Amino acid sequence: MLSYVLRRLIQAIPILVGISLIVFLIVYLSPGDPVDRFRNPRVTPEQLQRLRVLYGLDKPLIEQYLRWFTGFLQIWRPEAWGYSFLDGQPVIHKIAERVPATMQLMGVSLMVTIIFAIPIGVLAAVRQYSFADKLITTLATVGYAVPSFLLGVYVLYIGGVVLRGPDGRGLFPTFGQTSFGKDNDLLDLAWHLVLPVTSLAIQQIAGWARYMRSSMLEVLHQDYVRTARAKGLPQSRVLGKHALRNALIPIITLLGLTIPSLLAGAVITEFIFSWPGLGQLTIAAIGNRDYPVVLATSMLGGVLVIVGNLLADVLYGVVDPRIKY
Amino acid sequence: MERADPTLTAAPIAPVAPSERGEAVDEVDLIPVRTYWQLVRQRFAQHRLAVMALIVLAVLVVLALAVPTLTGNTYKLTRLDRVDAMATVEAPLGYNEIGQNIAVRLAKATQTSLLIGLAAVLIIVGIGILVGSIAGYMGGWTDNLLMRFVDIVLSLPGLFIILMIVSLFGVGDVRVVIIAIGITGWTLAARLIRAEFLALRNADYVQAARALGAGHRRIIVRHMLPAAMAPLVVAAALGVADSVVTEAALSFLGFGISPPEASLGNMLTNAQSYFFSAPERALYPGVVLVLLVLCASFLGDGLRDALDPRQRIEA
Repeated sequence: MLSYVLRRLIQAIPILVGISLIVFLIVYLSPGDPVDRFRNPRVTPEQLQRLRVLYGLDKPLIEQYLRWFTGFLQIWRPEAWGYSFLDGQPVIHKIAERVPATMQLMGVSLMVTIIFAIPIGVLAAVRQYSFADKLITTLATVGYAVPSFLLGVYVLYIGGVVLRGPDGRGLFPTFGQTSFGKDNDLLDLAWHLVLPVTSLAIQQIAGWARYMRSSMLEVLHQDYVRTARAKGLPQSRVLGKHALRNALIPIITLLGLTIPSLLAGAVITEFIFSWPGLGQLTIAAIGNRDYPVVLATSMLGGVLVIVGNLLADVLYGVVDPRIKY
Repeated sequence: MERADPTLTAAPIAPVAPSERGEAVDEVDLIPVRTYWQLVRQRFAQHRLAVMALIVLAVLVVLALAVPTLTGNTYKLTRLDRVDAMATVEAPLGYNEIGQNIAVRLAKATQTSLLIGLAAVLIIVGIGILVGSIAGYMGGWTDNLLMRFVDIVLSLPGLFIILMIVSLFGVGDVRVVIIAIGITGWTLAARLIRAEFLALRNADYVQAARALGAGHRRIIVRHMLPAAMAPLVVAAALGVADSVVTEAALSFLGFGISPPEASLGNMLTNAQSYFFSAPERALYPGVVLVLLVLCASFLGDGLRDALDPRQRIEA
């Protein structure tokens, strides 16, 4: 097991290097000179040249890349990811303070997805071709086609404008993570999470429920389920013990596939609901052309995708006894 | 009872029809011989959702092409006497906060979305065919190398990379948006085509072509690519849907197409400010977007089944 995890970690290294190369090349090939920022009538060309030397921009491409990539890996140094063009803060600090909010949003959405999607998918599979199944399948197909930013706007409208609280204002808060002065109030946080999580989770629930349905249907046709029925087990035991457990195995791989789409969805959802996470930081950074921040969040996104895939593979091995390492 | 398709039966062909030899008539021989495209049309017609999707899509495409062509620059025209005006015959969806005709803007936005989606899908399919067919046809270390590359692109955090490309190479530039979507979205196409090519590379007819002295390029282009049409069409349909959504998201965030040009994304952004007075304005671009995505995926499903020569026709 441990050796498998280690092997997968080693396999992830070339992918990380590949991502970093692509990200680096995109920035390298982009038009404009990195020292353009310092250009003004009082700066002489010699001074610009000295700046290029200072930043190592006169070095060959490979050397620049290696310097940047090895620097990127030294996360224990505050200057490792450079400084924000906007406020001169170390990028690593700016990102570190945003990570928890994004993790909260993604984690809760994932939990909500699992809690809703699995029973819905099982119900549709067990009552195949019934009205409930047709309704679920139709809603899931449509729900999957509604992009999360669209859903975000509509959820914001319904939860913040149509639905009214007792004080006559919108029932749910439509922006931020907490109300003013309630920094450690969990209930307040949960209340703020309702709308962003709803808009992020619906598309995921639609996708997961469809997958769960087909996975469950496949298992229900297996011989061991027929055997369980034949020996007179009650329906709840057949479904819960024999069918569901096996139907859940392929669902694990969805986890790896979900992380990237959840991350992309979170970026936009954070923007819509002013959620103080990585996505909001990234979008603001792009608007301000704050490239060190953009570079770092892109790399971090890549790391997250790799970790998600790794997690899914390892979990798959844990739950499926047929998989040997 | 399942009927085998006469054009596909692998059994040795009898030189004389069985009935003439006085044997029982095989049901198979009673089915009239149909060409491939006749079969495709028949199989497609059986897919009710796909036919519906095709009709809806056709209506959208006609509107998106005709309305902006007939009205010229009307979609940008602001009329101060019509600010927030009610619907009329020439503006069935009313006017917006700066007196622009919402229906005309919506048609123009749909056109922009479709054009960007199609352009991006050309890149997606192009790179997908190139990488997928070479990997699947060559196999061995070429395949290994190319697939590792696909793994890397697949691990890229798509939206972050697209946002980064757009921000570095030009916010609001349509060409940059198209290229950014295209070069990050081709992995599915490549993988599907590779899988098909791996299965086909040693098929009898491919070997026959090889034995007749056909070159690699001829085998790939003339013999194997047509057989890989079905997965290609699925990849293309999903690619259009994805590209249209990504473009709308970019424009929604303010990095794609910005006013006065019309885009489904920026119409939605704009509508957000009028939630209290005119919430229906947020619905129009949303409905068009969801219809486009749904139609593309249904159409893809239908075409995949229709184009696949191994699919049988239910009588």
